[in-house]
Amino acid sequence: MKYLKQVVIVTRWEFGRFFKPKNEALGIVIMIVASVAFYFGGKYAFSETDKKLEITVYNDTDVKLTEFMSTSYAVKTMPKEDKRKFIEHMKKEGDGVLLESGSGNFVVYAYKNTGNIKKLKAHLTEYHKQTEMQKIGISTDELTAILSPAPVIESFVYTNNSSKRVVLSYFFAGLMIMAVFLSFAYQFTAITGEKQLKITEQIVSAISPQIWMDGKIFGISLIGITSMLTYAIMSILGAMLIFQFTNLPASSILDYIYLPSILLYLPFALVGILIWNAILAAIASIITDPNNSGKSALMMLPVLFVLASFLVIRDPDSSLSIFLSWFPLTSATSMPMRWAITEVGYWQLAGSFILLLLTFYFFRKLAAKIFRVSILITGKEPTFSEVYKLSKHK
Amino acid sequence: MIDQMQNTVLKVDLISKGFLNIKAVNNISFAIEQGDIYAFLGPNGAGKTTTLRMLLDIIKPDSGNIEWNLNGKQNRVPDAAHIGYLPEERGLYLDIPILNSLVYLATIRGMEKADAKKTALMWLERLGLADRAKEKLQVLSKGNQQKIQFIASILHKPKFAILDEPFSGLDPINQEIFIDFIKEINNQGTTILLSAHQMSLVEKLANKIFLINNGSEVYNGSLSGIYQMFGEKIIIELQLESPFNETTFRNLNDVESVNGIDDLRVKITFRQKADLKNVLHDLTKIEGICDITSHKPDLHEIFLQLIKNQ
Repeated sequence: MKYLKQVVIVTRWEFGRFFKPKNEALGIVIMIVASVAFYFGGKYAFSETDKKLEITVYNDTDVKLTEFMSTSYAVKTMPKEDKRKFIEHMKKEGDGVLLESGSGNFVVYAYKNTGNIKKLKAHLTEYHKQTEMQKIGISTDELTAILSPAPVIESFVYTNNSSKRVVLSYFFAGLMIMAVFLSFAYQFTAITGEKQLKITEQIVSAISPQIWMDGKIFGISLIGITSMLTYAIMSILGAMLIFQFTNLPASSILDYIYLPSILLYLPFALVGILIWNAILAAIASIITDPNNSGKSALMMLPVLFVLASFLVIRDPDSSLSIFLSWFPLTSATSMPMRWAITEVGYWQLAGSFILLLLTFYFFRKLAAKIFRVSILITGKEPTFSEVYKLSKHK
Repeated sequence: MIDQMQNTVLKVDLISKGFLNIKAVNNISFAIEQGDIYAFLGPNGAGKTTTLRMLLDIIKPDSGNIEWNLNGKQNRVPDAAHIGYLPEERGLYLDIPILNSLVYLATIRGMEKADAKKTALMWLERLGLADRAKEKLQVLSKGNQQKIQFIASILHKPKFAILDEPFSGLDPINQEIFIDFIKEINNQGTTILLSAHQMSLVEKLANKIFLINNGSEVYNGSLSGIYQMFGEKIIIELQLESPFNETTFRNLNDVESVNGIDDLRVKITFRQKADLKNVLHDLTKIEGICDITSHKPDLHEIFLQLIKNQ
């Protein structure tokens, strides 16, 4: 009971230290403003490109080509003799495109190679294709039919609507990466900061290293989870808004929100975040000065493991996917992903989850032990072997 | 066993601790009784902090026993609610309001939040810092930060307070203030174990002392006892007209040591039971002395002598 009470006190303290509702709200506002700015900025940028690019051709250019180009470009003509003058002007002004055609090829003169030249080449390719088709007497429809894939109608007994469930899996994995990243930042500040401020000894004279570690792991995980939920709600609202813009009913979001997936994902993600927090706390315990520690790079480990779980999407029934869905450092995201797109037995879900819980139990014990040893080492940062030796010593 | 001595709140029996190849603490034993102000004295690196950490179970001894008796039961590990600790390495949350930090540290030691807040405000008021309760620690002066540290260690009204180097970093005025605080909480019933190397300050406070050097006991007993045992020597300080020749003083009767303070001042320690009358008589034969002062050795001098003789 005393353990629980003290863990709750430390958890609340750690949560309160770092979770600032004002900052969280500010972050959301910035995100909304940035999204709106990107949306309208993008529209503006596209409206710029909607302006037809001016292309100059010679007076005697094939009418068919001129007409074809006119559909997408503002075509101007000039006498062939003015070519040198045009190029000199182009060099001086840094602007203008001259298109030469003849004997089956095209020559493009431009000041520099930009995205517009790439588009022009695509346009000329289309013109070339149509000209060649006419030569051999094939219509556009006929060519489309030749190049189209075989008409296969898919009908699966299992995993119906799985593509939408995969979207949800990606979404959850993304949220988990976000939560772990946040934890990474806070856990680092919480532990190395306390070591640098020399508070640690004061704290461990009052509570056991295990209580201290558990409080930190729970408190900072809670921040990650709170942010994860906040952004999940924001994303759902954002998606509903986008559906409105695309003339789809807001209720289309329900196609993606598959409740069983969510109910499965939440406990897995929760324990996954706790595991990573325990690992990050253990690493942070050894680091004396985060600015000069070679061990800081280890804090990036969780992202690699979460990203590895995306391999499941390629073939959820492969041996690798099965391994990833059981391996505790990847299973928090891999198992729910597999479950979303393939058949996974309940015993597998339960087994993987129990393994995840046991791993968390192990890592929180390990983190407390490493912390207990590392506070004894002052001055230079301990190596892993020194920590190991001291932990065996007592 | 502790119950053989009803007032004994801490009994340490032959504890040792080594780190890799270094013996930090070597078979030391002592006992502290309720109401004591027990001073743990020694130079830097003597093993004081390691001993205190073992008492608090922050680290475990390699051998030996520690028994606490703060709540009527014998325990290897003290109950955090009954222990106050001011670590040598001071630190508090710099970016959090002072009152919040104090309340947090008291609640993890088992105090109720409301009580902790009330007591913290009372202490802040007494130290003239009540109006700064909501400010962050980082805006306070170093002296005021030390006061906050001190409050944090005794806020929960512990039965036993361990104060590791409580005077370090304090100016003389604040040192005197802290001496008064320590006496006050001791009068209110808190037993004190303090570690320090400022002997002159400890002399004003402690009733018992433990001298430690290189992890081993040098002296363990009452403060008056150490004066009785080692404080009967005569120390003479001379002011001279011109730079002195050490041999002149070494050849005097009963001289134990001669130490130059500077070119024109010398401190001579005479052996125990040397006769002051004879000493002064001998000194009158030396030319060029313009001032003579004599005193009994203070704790600092006794300690240096004991270390030297070890």
